[in-house]
Amino acid sequence: MTTQTPLTVPSRDGRPGRTREGAILVLEDGRTFRGASYGAVGETVGEAVFSTGMTGYQETLTDPSYHRQVIVMTAPHVGNTGVNTEDDESTRIWVAGYVVRDPAIRSSNWRATRDLEDELDEQGVVGICELDTRALTRHLRERGAMRVGIFSGQAAHRPEGELLDAVRTSPQMAGAALAAEVTTTEPYAVGAVGEKRFTVAAVDLGIKAMTPHLMAQRGIEVHVLPATATIDDVLAVGEDGPDGVFFSNGPGDPATAEREVELLREVLDRGVPFFGICFGNQLLGRALGFGTYKLKYGHRGINQPVMDRTTGKVEVTAHNHGFAVDAPLDGDSDTAYGRVRVSHVCLNDDVVEGLECLDRPAYSVQYHPEAAAGPHDAAYLFDRFVELMETRQTTHQRSSARVAPGLTSEASDKQGGSR
Amino acid sequence: MACPDLSAPTQSSDDRSSIPEDARDVMSEGDISRALRRIGHEILERNKGSEGLVLLGIPSRGVPLARRLAACIEDVEGHAVPVGELDITLHRDDLRRNPVRAAHRSRIPDGGIDDRVVVLVDDVLYSGRTIRAALDALSELGRPRAVRLAVLVDRGHRELPIRADHVGKNLPTSRDERVHVRVAEVDGLEVVRISGGESR
Repeated sequence: MTTQTPLTVPSRDGRPGRTREGAILVLEDGRTFRGASYGAVGETVGEAVFSTGMTGYQETLTDPSYHRQVIVMTAPHVGNTGVNTEDDESTRIWVAGYVVRDPAIRSSNWRATRDLEDELDEQGVVGICELDTRALTRHLRERGAMRVGIFSGQAAHRPEGELLDAVRTSPQMAGAALAAEVTTTEPYAVGAVGEKRFTVAAVDLGIKAMTPHLMAQRGIEVHVLPATATIDDVLAVGEDGPDGVFFSNGPGDPATAEREVELLREVLDRGVPFFGICFGNQLLGRALGFGTYKLKYGHRGINQPVMDRTTGKVEVTAHNHGFAVDAPLDGDSDTAYGRVRVSHVCLNDDVVEGLECLDRPAYSVQYHPEAAAGPHDAAYLFDRFVELMETRQTTHQRSSARVAPGLTSEASDKQGGSR
Repeated sequence: MACPDLSAPTQSSDDRSSIPEDARDVMSEGDISRALRRIGHEILERNKGSEGLVLLGIPSRGVPLARRLAACIEDVEGHAVPVGELDITLHRDDLRRNPVRAAHRSRIPDGGIDDRVVVLVDDVLYSGRTIRAALDALSELGRPRAVRLAVLVDRGHRELPIRADHVGKNLPTSRDERVHVRVAEVDGLEVVRISGGESR
């Protein structure tokens, strides 16, 4: 980039107080982009990833799965709907840095309570704007997600070699165990809306607010547990143990989550209905004996086509994952927990987007049916969880005995045959 | 981020007439610069990088536009793309009907066009006859791997089966209207205007 940005440029809306300082974005492979400061001024490092969503930036920013990642927005104009008090998916902004082409001059939306940039500034999120995000995205697409640093204000004046060293010495995303950094410290419960029908233990690996909300709407009382929960903590939920167990989305490398995988195996052993989203899908894959791997540049955005292979229906879905499960797409696989089928697949690149156990009441998806932000095509997956728990309850009453491994064949028959 | 201005030698301009008073602006200087930058990105994405690209401007205003596209691509990719100009005068199908025009010299970059991806650059795509002439001119010079077309304005009314791969602005027009493209290097003015048609 040859363009030189002046040290201080007044913002284009002429409002006093907001000035932009010079800023530079430095990629691990040495490529740099110059722009202007956005949000907080300072420096930050993380993994550079791009998101293709044109809307829903507030949900994206507050999604814990983006912990330690620097988000490049492919949509050029960001911030025009400000921020509001309703759309947060967690209590804070998690992204490590924010890259936008052209920040909105002022926000205009009936729900907006303040400007996005003020919020970023207040939460100390360092960003950069007025750079060519299309060229940057193409670079990441060709060369894969990589570490990146944003340096603005005084930091932007340091020699580029020094900045590059700072980026190259920062931690890698592969091998990072991050769930413990984003999880709730104390368990909490979200009450069912209307009549309470089921109790679910939800393990928070970076859960988004919309997930318990959607379960609550279906008459589920959700007990959100920290990522450090043991099988005893999970079984202590509800009067007679939980009706179902849920593993949330979350950041980091699933290969590091051995403890969580062990917990999931305990759940599968007991035949408790299981539903997992995103990180939860990767953990189910690992619990079943599949591997996981890092995608070249991941799937992020709210416009990704996925086929439900059971019905052949294509959904437009919200994604946010840099890792994926390595399972064979053709036919059923035999695992320690019986037959497993890849239930959903991404039509862009044939990546596994969902797993379904045929002999256990367990399934998971890699994408985000809670759709915050995103389309609501996949909300039926929560209904499927309710069906699994209903089936198990009926079986329970009929056999009037505690469900032990091997007593769930009827549940899986229903699951396999009902669609 | 604007493309860097290249001060090119002034072409022998074919200002057929000055722009009428009633002309309306359809693209400003900023619009033109943004459109060219986008086309630059599109060319790179279509070609998966700048490997094997050759940009050829069609005189007169296609030439500075091609130079600017090359500058945009260099700005993004970090290395230069060969750029030249392709004279089509002797291949025009209206040669016999119109007053005598002087033939210019085509300037083809070193390395030629054989097995390259040639992107033809022109200001306005209208009947498609200019592009047909350009394709004829190209076939005398070599055998490109592919030929693509980038235009600043596509105003419709094609008379031949030709379409553009990259368009700055699709401008629906009537045949009675005229589209005037002015670029700084040739005209000292940077604007696209439209005139004529039914008065309202």
